[in-house]
Amino acid sequence: MSAMLALLLRDLRLAIRHGGESLMPLVFLFAVIILVPLGVGPGPNLLAAIAPGMIWVAALLASLLALENLFRPDHEDGTLEQWWLGHLPVTGLVISRLLSHWLVTGVPVILFAPLAAQMLYLPPQSLSVLMISLLIGTPILSLIGGLAAALTLGTNRGSVLLPILVFPLVVPVLIFATGAVAAAADDLPVRANLGLMLALLVLAITLVPLAATAALRLNIE
Amino acid sequence: MIWKSIKVGFHRLGSPPTFYRFCLLLSPWLWAGFAICTIIGLYYAFYVVPPDYQQSDTVRILYIHVPAAWQAMAGYVVMAILAMIALVWRIRTTEIMAMMCAPIGAAFTLICLATGSIWGRPMWGTWWEWDARLTSMLVLLFIYLGIMGLYAAFEDRRKGARVACILVLVGLVNIPIIHFSVEWWTTLHQGKTIRIFGESSMHYSMMPPLIWMTIAVKLMFGAALLDRSRNELLSQDRRKGWVAKKLLGKGVK
Amino acid sequence: MIPELEYASFVWSSYGIFAVVVAWQILQPVLYRRRLMAELREEQALQSGEYDDPNP
Repeated sequence: MSAMLALLLRDLRLAIRHGGESLMPLVFLFAVIILVPLGVGPGPNLLAAIAPGMIWVAALLASLLALENLFRPDHEDGTLEQWWLGHLPVTGLVISRLLSHWLVTGVPVILFAPLAAQMLYLPPQSLSVLMISLLIGTPILSLIGGLAAALTLGTNRGSVLLPILVFPLVVPVLIFATGAVAAAADDLPVRANLGLMLALLVLAITLVPLAATAALRLNIE
Repeated sequence: MIWKSIKVGFHRLGSPPTFYRFCLLLSPWLWAGFAICTIIGLYYAFYVVPPDYQQSDTVRILYIHVPAAWQAMAGYVVMAILAMIALVWRIRTTEIMAMMCAPIGAAFTLICLATGSIWGRPMWGTWWEWDARLTSMLVLLFIYLGIMGLYAAFEDRRKGARVACILVLVGLVNIPIIHFSVEWWTTLHQGKTIRIFGESSMHYSMMPPLIWMTIAVKLMFGAALLDRSRNELLSQDRRKGWVAKKLLGKGVK
Repeated sequence: MIPELEYASFVWSSYGIFAVVVAWQILQPVLYRRRLMAELREEQALQSGEYDDPNP
């Protein structure tokens, strides 16, 4: 437990010291939020209708940004192999690495989502549902992305493969999340969607760390 | 006794030279079976079955569309079973077979999407409909492509195969969820789902071509799988003794 | 002989796509195998010293 915490704190310290790089997800989010009205026109009705989808797609793409370097530097300097030599459970270390990815890419997006929602005229009654959906959904994005990063670790062109691997797997998250926000805008019940997202989160938390550990292991063999 | 010899025979397939010979022997028979079933199936599809009263002759497209769709999904299940065996028992020939399922499965998914789109044009009036089945087929195509891409990206083919096998299993968990979510999504967005063709309402006269084509397509999957696996094995083992022996021996075949 | 169909172009193009994909599934292994065999023969010739160098 303390080792997991230590790794988490180290990753976060590194992220803070690399300030500029860690801000990339936010920059990306706002680039999308600013470019979309420029592209489709400033009409409030149209923007309100596509707002949940745009924010979610931006969150998804933002989570892809930092994936390339999730395990690669540790692999190149040999730290990753040390994970297996020590007596710590590797899955725990993988979990803490994925958690730090979420804290660095997911949490800033969640924090700034209300601002983005205002800029896209999202109906106020759907804001809370958007926030909840991001809170449940962005960890799933980090988990699936982390799995893809672990799978592509041993290749030279991980950056090309990552989106192809991530995109089919996150389809359900995107559907349930935007469905919930759209339902909230129409004052329809959102429980079913959010409940299904929670189920996905539980499934991802249980399966992804194991699969990612197996993938890492095969990659460093 | 019989059980034991089956078991021994099955274990021998793990040995590359035996597996190679097995593929060489079995694949022509499967291709022949495919040819026969296709000829029968096409005969039924074009000469026996009457045109549908609503879809007229476009119903004949479904005799390749539906078997292709079934095979695209069945191919994934086959691949997942092979991948599971490959990861648990680390049998190299199964790893190769699992990986070779992906391009064939992708080909069937492509047939399914293309013919579905061609069928949709006169029937639904549009080339593409964000229908649940179409969308989940498209996602399945991307999963197949991801598996192929991941396998191809590794220098070390064995490592690539094992890593891609993990992705195959992850996909197996995900495909039902994707299918369910997409169905949910289409019912949310558009109440109407045009379904002229439903399994239950199908007339029995349409069954024979469908069954023959389904068998044909399954045999073809097997044949193409064996052909591809044989090549892949040869390519991976090019520096090994048994390949050299084969080449020096009774000539190159 | 060839049945007269309504929407004939749609039906035939579907079957055409099917035929092309099936043909590719047959041809790809054959072509790949030829290339592989040529490579293997060359490697073997190189090792046994029987390589007939086209540009000596």
